[in-house]
Amino acid sequence: MSGDKNILYPLTGLLSAVAILLSGLIFAKEPLCPVLLTGFFLWLLLFGCHRACLRVLLPLLLVGGVFAGITYAASGDGQSALSMMNRTAAVFLAVVPGMSMTPVQMTRCLSSLHAPRAVTLGMLIALSFVPLLTLEIRRVREAMVTRGAGSLLSPQIFYRAFLIPLITRLVNISDTLSLSVETRGFTLDGKDYSIYHLQRFCPKDGLYLLGIAAGIAGMAVLA
Amino acid sequence: MKNNDLTNTLVENAQQETSPAQKTTQEKRSFLGFQTKDIVFLAVLSAVILVTSSFMPLLLHIPVFGIIQIGLGLQFSLFPAIGLAKVRKPLSLVFMSICSGVVLLFMNTVMFLCLLVCALIAEGVALLIFKSYEKDGACFLACALYFPLSLPFLYVWYQIMGGTVLAYVNSVWWVTALMSIAVVALCCLGSYLGLRICRELKKSGVLKK
Repeated sequence: MSGDKNILYPLTGLLSAVAILLSGLIFAKEPLCPVLLTGFFLWLLLFGCHRACLRVLLPLLLVGGVFAGITYAASGDGQSALSMMNRTAAVFLAVVPGMSMTPVQMTRCLSSLHAPRAVTLGMLIALSFVPLLTLEIRRVREAMVTRGAGSLLSPQIFYRAFLIPLITRLVNISDTLSLSVETRGFTLDGKDYSIYHLQRFCPKDGLYLLGIAAGIAGMAVLA
Repeated sequence: MKNNDLTNTLVENAQQETSPAQKTTQEKRSFLGFQTKDIVFLAVLSAVILVTSSFMPLLLHIPVFGIIQIGLGLQFSLFPAIGLAKVRKPLSLVFMSICSGVVLLFMNTVMFLCLLVCALIAEGVALLIFKSYEKDGACFLACALYFPLSLPFLYVWYQIMGGTVLAYVNSVWWVTALMSIAVVALCCLGSYLGLRICRELKKSGVLKK
């Protein structure tokens, strides 16, 4: 278990995400596929991914419904629409284990497996900077509006008033961040380091994986 | 004007000159030649790729071959081009593909592996022709090749998985050909824009070597 209550071990989450996605895509045309995917959903709810499950539910129904509707309108075949819904649901469900773990947990897990520090640092930055960069992109766009720069649809305005300021801001952010990382004692020279919270595989993770495997095996037998 | 050029050259020379002892310490503190600032810059650019590709799940099931590449082609060539033009070290593209693929790892693991292999091939081809990333042409080639290379992988994936897209690919071949050409053109444009932005930022002093 990962140290934090009710959260899956990151590699267990990754393995289950792959299994859910592949089984959803392979069995998408089977009539029992919705049962399998509902089973996965309930299993994820049971193993501490309830927040991510609830966050994913509405987009899943919305996007899946739209695509299933388009498929039905194009082909007039209910089975094709259902398999499209199954595929979309498989993709959304596969994201749930990833959504329910923080970037730090993933980094700690990889660090405990002696992954190169450059890779763990890169992953940590790439995942945890998404909200900040979304904010930066919004700021650049707001600055464009304030200056009365014009529409983003014009290639010249997009290049001059959006891309250049955005990249300049990114360069400044990365300079500050690298200084900050180095002053906190981060080095790439392979020195020993300690991990604040060790992420460990526990029986609960085994049970979770067993449930996913049993669902897939059952589906393979019945299909 | 002449004085300015002279001053710039002197400053650049002073920045480039490092003693052998300093060099050894820098090498010791690096990972495959990357320093912390390189890693951070590439990771920040990967985060931008992630942000600008957030609409990808919506494209995933549109039954048109290469629609994902059309939607993401610009981001996946422009930002890597900026990263390569600044860092100019082998494996930079592979590193960016690992960082930007973390989310894909959960959403579509096959796509993650495919992008990793594409990055390796693109870097291999560029380094085989240009030997290093010193020339802008090497950066352009690597970034222009990176994302279009995922098209053949996608084709093989659809052949294995079957489904609506495969039926579409097999029936309307000219759409597949047209989309492939469009992806290549888009990635070339992205790489060119990335290098141009870098050149401008270097000229204005924002981006240092």
